[in-house]
Amino acid sequence: MAEVQQKEAGGKKKGAQKKMTIRVDFTPMVDMNMLLITFFMLCTTMIKSQTLNIALPSNEKVQNEENMSQASADDAITIIIDAKRKPGSFIPDTVNGRVVNEIYYYDGKPCNGEAVPTAENNNLKKADFVGSKDESKDIRRIIQDRNKDVWKKIELLKKDFRDGKITQEQFDVKAKEVRKDETLKKPVIIIKSTPEASYGALVEMLDEMQINSVSKYQIDNMSRMDSTMLIEFQNRNR
Amino acid sequence: MGRVKIAKKSTFIDMTAMSDVTVLLLTFFMLTSTFLAKEPTQVITPASVSEEKVQETNYVQILVSPDAKRDAQGRVTEGKVWLTMNNDTSNKWSNEKMKMALLDKVAEIYNESHKNKLSFTPQQKMAFSKLGSFGVPLAQMGEFLNLASEPEGTSKMDKWLQGQDTDPNHVTGIPVEWNQDDTRPDEFQMWMKAMRQTDNENLAGAIKDGTGVALKADQNTAFDIVHMVMDNLQTIKMNKFTLLTSLKAGGE
Repeated sequence: MAEVQQKEAGGKKKGAQKKMTIRVDFTPMVDMNMLLITFFMLCTTMIKSQTLNIALPSNEKVQNEENMSQASADDAITIIIDAKRKPGSFIPDTVNGRVVNEIYYYDGKPCNGEAVPTAENNNLKKADFVGSKDESKDIRRIIQDRNKDVWKKIELLKKDFRDGKITQEQFDVKAKEVRKDETLKKPVIIIKSTPEASYGALVEMLDEMQINSVSKYQIDNMSRMDSTMLIEFQNRNR
Repeated sequence: MGRVKIAKKSTFIDMTAMSDVTVLLLTFFMLTSTFLAKEPTQVITPASVSEEKVQETNYVQILVSPDAKRDAQGRVTEGKVWLTMNNDTSNKWSNEKMKMALLDKVAEIYNESHKNKLSFTPQQKMAFSKLGSFGVPLAQMGEFLNLASEPEGTSKMDKWLQGQDTDPNHVTGIPVEWNQDDTRPDEFQMWMKAMRQTDNENLAGAIKDGTGVALKADQNTAFDIVHMVMDNLQTIKMNKFTLLTSLKAGGE
């Protein structure tokens, strides 16, 4: 292909030029192209970032409805994310430059409605991030357990979808119906985070809400009660 | 000395086909590629299973710096962010025009509450409209934009934005403070208000329904820094927004 053969016109004559082959070596061209391809491959972003939608209440609302979360706290689960650190220190422990986070949670009202946390009434419990050896402490299992009515139905729908019984659109519609179904028992999950905990842990918790099909959840600020409970719990379990 | 003669064979391999293939591949990559945007700080976003993709147009990205000033008690007092704006160029608003309108608007908001009035020359506005990520305190904006007309100005601007400038007076990042007073916005809130108040309805609409504002922060950034930015947005009633995440490997 890269050769051009010159043919003589007419028969052989004396003094006619010899048959010549011109070859073009394409190897450097290929080398250069490969380099360019490598450059473009390394510089492109093929995967676009994902986004997680959140809606927070406006600050005015927060001040007006301060008692709202307290009133509906009976069926609420409060998850508190904290960074692991030494007593009295603000500096979180790190492993390979990453902050070590911890999860705590309590059901219903803090300290069963009492004002001062003590060893008896403190209902804070410690949980583990996903992938824990102790299954009963795995935060995904805990959330799933509270939301099992909805979660089981959604799992059935997912199975139907995987078996090809329903289409993606049908799945979306039905899943939405299940999430809005008022007859099912649904928890309200309140996610709180101490200032030292890392942002990644918060996103991980928000992600768990998606995975476990939790429809009611909110991000809230730590109250004074939450902090004292956390300190009491940490002092007791040191 | 009878030796067996081995016929000389040419080792020439025809590379034409190979070359054809590589050129095709090259064309594909050139056409599909969008270059990694240069950002003032490198962050690794946390992973999530969310499958919603980020908007390509009509959105503002808020890049949160992992560093912040803290007081003696360890409380965050001042953080900084950089903004990137991507405009829907299909309508009458080009990216350049939009950026110029934005700069005018933010100067207007700034001048309401400051004695040192800001005004920008057409050259400075032009320089602003060419920027990708931006974020310097408004008081230094004029000086920053003047760099564009100097030789090697763009690399100087990049250095300034990345905080590697040799001049200690040059500050990078839009300052964010704890502020719950809507009537006295800090600089970050001024910028976000200006984004909403330009006459571009598409961007304003996207900001309102929450798809137009994307928060990008490193997974190791302390929560209170991100919280301060979120709180700032809540104060100016931009309480719907999205968090940028990367795809979690393995999914569920």
